[in-house]
Amino acid sequence: MKISKKVVLIGHFGVGKSSLIRRFVENTFSDDYKVTIGVHIFKKSVPIPEEGKDVSLVIWDLEGNDDIRETRLSYLLGTNAYIYVFDVSRPTTYKDIDSDILYLKEKCPTAPIKIVGNKEDLLTKKQIGDLNEKIESFIDFFTSAKTGNKVDELFSKLALELINK
Amino acid sequence: MLETYKKQHAKTIIQYLVVDFNGQILETDNVLFDIKNEQNITNINPFFETLIPLLKSENEDYFFNCIHLHLNEKLITADISLKTFNKETYPLITIVDLTSHYKHYQTTAQVRNESVINSEVLELKNSYLKEKEEFKNRFIANFSHELRDPITGIITFSDILKNTQLNDEQLNYLQILKSSSNFLKKMVDDILDISRIEVGKLELTIKPFDIRSLIQDINANYSIRAKEKGLEYFSSIDEKLPAIVGGDALRLRQVLTNLLDNAIKFTEKGNITFNVSLNQIRAQKANVHFEITDTGIGIAPDKLESIFENFTQINNPLSFKGAGLGLAIVKYLVELTRSKISVKSSLGKGSIFSTNINFKIETSKKPHKKDKTLIKEIRSDKKFNILLVEDSEITQLSILKILAKKGQFFLDIVSNANDVIPRIESSEFDLVLMDIKLQDQWGDEIAKKIRKLPEREHKKVPIIALTAKVFSEDLKKYKKAGINDVIKKPFDEISLLNTIGKYLK
Repeated sequence: MKISKKVVLIGHFGVGKSSLIRRFVENTFSDDYKVTIGVHIFKKSVPIPEEGKDVSLVIWDLEGNDDIRETRLSYLLGTNAYIYVFDVSRPTTYKDIDSDILYLKEKCPTAPIKIVGNKEDLLTKKQIGDLNEKIESFIDFFTSAKTGNKVDELFSKLALELINK
Repeated sequence: MLETYKKQHAKTIIQYLVVDFNGQILETDNVLFDIKNEQNITNINPFFETLIPLLKSENEDYFFNCIHLHLNEKLITADISLKTFNKETYPLITIVDLTSHYKHYQTTAQVRNESVINSEVLELKNSYLKEKEEFKNRFIANFSHELRDPITGIITFSDILKNTQLNDEQLNYLQILKSSSNFLKKMVDDILDISRIEVGKLELTIKPFDIRSLIQDINANYSIRAKEKGLEYFSSIDEKLPAIVGGDALRLRQVLTNLLDNAIKFTEKGNITFNVSLNQIRAQKANVHFEITDTGIGIAPDKLESIFENFTQINNPLSFKGAGLGLAIVKYLVELTRSKISVKSSLGKGSIFSTNINFKIETSKKPHKKDKTLIKEIRSDKKFNILLVEDSEITQLSILKILAKKGQFFLDIVSNANDVIPRIESSEFDLVLMDIKLQDQWGDEIAKKIRKLPEREHKKVPIIALTAKVFSEDLKKYKKAGINDVIKKPFDEISLLNTIGKYLK
């Protein structure tokens, strides 16, 4: 039977959620910022060589909000995993990270959450290190949709985790 | 009529789908897109995969707003709802195409988000720049401090060397050495001042002082310097000028000497004129006009604004020495007194720099007069035990040489901060000379420890700090730590001996 999992990308506006998906699904990137309103849904099959299977990820690209509590709850129905994205260059996008993660865990306690600092290409390695120390929550990946750094790894790791759940 | 319109309108934007409990389409009106019965809704768009687990629920309504759907090369933005009934009735899916409505919303959100992001990015860039600037200033301040010890060494040993037997040629070389090190000292002082100015930490210390003798002193110095360059020097002091005023004498001297230095530097022939006059006395405040005129190379009108910026030398920097900080410091110091510096200039003819500064009129307080050119003798036959806490070998040697020459002192030197307390506890000292910036500890912290020792004489032993950090907040910190006095680095023989002398009887 085909395995299909719903993955929701959530976070402030302008953090690069759509760009991460575009990089993962189409392997393209554009510097032009286009606001996402509502939700775009994409699908991509991810092979899991370790298990000899494919996982079909149905990826929900949600519109960004200053406060994720304003996200329409219907979007979160049946979510199998979250990717919480923030912009490493804009502190406002990660200042509420701890409470945001708690909120998501409350809404969907069984869904794994990957925390991702995007636009890592805008900071130096030292700045990324300092930021990592500053944020209490564990950051799973520092990605760059622009360069593609760690984008495939993020989705592959999540797919593997979901297949084993 | 209304029903007809409603039906026509709904017919163009709403598609209904009746599906079974597994998502297979049983019935649809194909208003928005074509799909055949018996196909699964998951073939329409991945969105519908989310609905599959919900189809078996009973009597529920689910709403999904603003869903972007790619349908046969067509992109629509729709509100989608799912209505479930009972086990015998199949669910109904309604898709309402609201593309034009959401397009408008998209434009508004785009403008709003872009503006927020841009202002956040700008704010962040500014804070990075500020951080960088602060780092630069801290670096300059620390680096300048590090230069103080070697400069002290050069100046002290030049003085010591002067008192040995030298022939004329050697004396000439020594003079060059001395003037070079004085020039270097001035540059380091300027750079330190600028770094303090940029972080807003340079403040004025207002005390009563004799303004007339300050100006006379400056005139005495600069008339000689002008003469050495073949220039005439004219000066005048208004007789109505109050003798004692309240102000920062050190910084006033710095403003005037920087302006006079500049005037002499950029004048090859002609004269320098320094006039001081009283504008008015009002509300116990004297407004004094200072004016320095030269017949030098002058400044082009378009360059007049930039001469007060840091590191600015509008003329060929190869022709004129200096870091270009003097006028930036002058401008800042004058502005600290809530005044302004003005300049009038004519290229090839000369410049006039002037300012009007307010001073408080002091009637009761007399300034403490110090003769800074004479070494006061310590009238005692006793030999004094001095502990020097200093990790710079150059400074150790400089102090050793100066004190040894007097023959009145035993000097004990400690380089390591951890050795200070045991040494004090095991010996009796008449005075402690304490470097502030030691390798592993701050001198004022050691002073605090000395003051906390149980023996009474340790609480009383005079402690004199040796440091380049002599801004008002530093001095307050030293006083709080129990330090009695400060000798500013780089120091010379006179300032060292006279300060020590104040505490030894």
